[in-house]
Amino acid sequence: MKLLIIEDEPKTAGYLTRGLGEQGYSVDHAANGVDGLHLALTGDYDAIVLDVMLPGMDGLQVMQSLRAQRDTPVIMLTARDQVDDRLRGLGAGADDYLIKPFSFLELLARVQAITRRGRAHESTQIQVGDLHIDLLARRATRRGRRLNLSAKEFALLAALARRRSQILSKTVITETVWDINFDTNTNVVEVAIKRLRAKLEYPGETKLLHTVRGMGYVLEQREEDAA
Amino acid sequence: MTTRSIAARLGLMFGLAATVVLAILAVSLFLFQSYELQRHKREELSARLVIIERLSHQASDLKHWAYFRDKLADFTPEDGSLYFAVESADPRFRVGERFLDQATFDEHGEGFGNAILPNGQRYLTVAHVLPPEGDRPAVRLMVAAGQRDIESAEWLLAVGIVVLSLVAIAAVSATGWWIARRGLAPVDRLSEYARRLDARDLTLRLPADDLPTELDGLVVSLNEALARLQRAYEQLNAFNADVAHELRTPLGNMIGETQVTLSRARSTDALESTLQSNLEELERLRNIINSMLFLARADRGETARDLVEVSLHEATTKSAEFMEMLMEDAGLELRIVGDARACVEQSLYARAITNLLDNALRHGAAGSTVHVDIADGPDAVSVTVRNQATPIPPDKLAHLFDRFYRADPSRTGSDQNHGLGLAIVKAVAQLHGGSVFAESRQGEVAIGLRLPRVPRTDPPSRPDRPAARAARDSALPSAQPSH
Repeated sequence: MKLLIIEDEPKTAGYLTRGLGEQGYSVDHAANGVDGLHLALTGDYDAIVLDVMLPGMDGLQVMQSLRAQRDTPVIMLTARDQVDDRLRGLGAGADDYLIKPFSFLELLARVQAITRRGRAHESTQIQVGDLHIDLLARRATRRGRRLNLSAKEFALLAALARRRSQILSKTVITETVWDINFDTNTNVVEVAIKRLRAKLEYPGETKLLHTVRGMGYVLEQREEDAA
Repeated sequence: MTTRSIAARLGLMFGLAATVVLAILAVSLFLFQSYELQRHKREELSARLVIIERLSHQASDLKHWAYFRDKLADFTPEDGSLYFAVESADPRFRVGERFLDQATFDEHGEGFGNAILPNGQRYLTVAHVLPPEGDRPAVRLMVAAGQRDIESAEWLLAVGIVVLSLVAIAAVSATGWWIARRGLAPVDRLSEYARRLDARDLTLRLPADDLPTELDGLVVSLNEALARLQRAYEQLNAFNADVAHELRTPLGNMIGETQVTLSRARSTDALESTLQSNLEELERLRNIINSMLFLARADRGETARDLVEVSLHEATTKSAEFMEMLMEDAGLELRIVGDARACVEQSLYARAITNLLDNALRHGAAGSTVHVDIADGPDAVSVTVRNQATPIPPDKLAHLFDRFYRADPSRTGSDQNHGLGLAIVKAVAQLHGGSVFAESRQGEVAIGLRLPRVPRTDPPSRPDRPAARAARDSALPSAQPSH
């Protein structure tokens, strides 16, 4: 998976390159719109992360010129919290946008969503360690023990399982499970995770649902925990 | 009237009014005076006719007629201002032939008439026909008086009236201007005071005591506006201080913790822990900044977009679902009653309801019920969240929706609650053209928002909207970013 980051702020570009690189993407970087457009038109990228505020040629112009020739998926980054700009970005053909300051996990989730598009559809059975999830039957079992989950709890588990081994931020979780797309300043996610954990991990069973402090939650079988 | 000076305009208007009044007066005066002159002339002529008529009675033969003729000649002045004439079929009884021959007459019988000489002199005539008597045949006696004296009198009168009127108009205009200037002096003074107002001293007001009553209302309104601006300005200042304060705590935590961590060699775990703690503080900062940006949207007077007509009951239920687990944990029951339809931006509405429920959750008495009442009014719909809670005194009730306001200061410090929850509810209401309200009575606190009932969107375009929105949402796999 090849990604192009068009961003003039060196620190932002630095952590995006490193972070996305560590997630298995091969990342190119351009520090201005002209170079960015050139790379975007000549290279074969799976997705482009494009800052709106760029020296020389701004992000919207890059977007328009790019769309005239290619339809590489684009995620726009904007510092301006203005609906107009967002809609303009989408009107110019952007596939998604993020308002600065954004969280890296959100960006990652969006990049994954965009690059996953077009892939064959996911399997309906997910296995994480000894946890088996049947997305169609909406059933989760652990070593034959059926987990008695409420609808929201199952949705939460499914969201974590679909992106197993990836950290899901609280924002991503509220969006996926409750379709709520704003910061709520509540601890609903913590409470839901606590409930899910109580049903998922009986005493003596391997920990599968991990908290990553300050970031979010991840569902995975960790080596050191494996019994 | 293009002049912008009130005094000049008033002067000009006074002048115009004086012109109209004086013109009517002058014309009336002139007509009356000239009528009087004519009447006087006629009376004079009639008197003269009576005299010569009496004299002519004695002249019934030629001898006496000659005497009568001489008498008439004596009466006739040299300057041509008065003529006596007698018309008769018998040339011997004719008098004043020269005048009779030269003048043109418009009346040939009895009574008054007009005559004009070839040199343009005009005459008023009066005539009387005498029947034959003795040797004398029938004669027509005539007296003609020149109009020149009347004409010159009239001319003099007209010139006098016009000149005097012009002087009067000028005087009235000037006085009017001067009076207006005097009358407007308080306005000048007012603007002098107003010039001294600026942001350095917000307590300055316009003095209302030495002003005429007509300006009282204006000054009072201006002073009220100044008071409102002062309040807003002070609020803004306090707000800025609050923001700085809110940002200071997480920043201080991060700086201090990072410095402490870096001052010694630390294990990876310790470094990781510091980074995680920093991240928590940073999330808090991001939250505050995003909330502030959101509030700024409402402050700028923006309105909600993507309005969709929804059942508020359904929309509220959806938000309630999100809060369900917290409610259960707190031992609170939730009851949503009533329904109404309104046009809302759904994510904004959900945000407001979530915040209202969150507020009820924080302050509600354990084990009580949180009621959400949705009421459909004639011009507005209201959504009220009420539950049993510690009563809020009226002076605090008014500030509930202020930014960073906490009715109970001891709650400060919770990283979940930065005191913007209800301010956001208010902003959401404003973005929809609605308002918020709060009441505290009988152990219950009720807080809610009102939304306009009649949607502002055009009805024909509404059916397209949900479709357009759905299309947009599908283009955004992970929906809108958080604000």
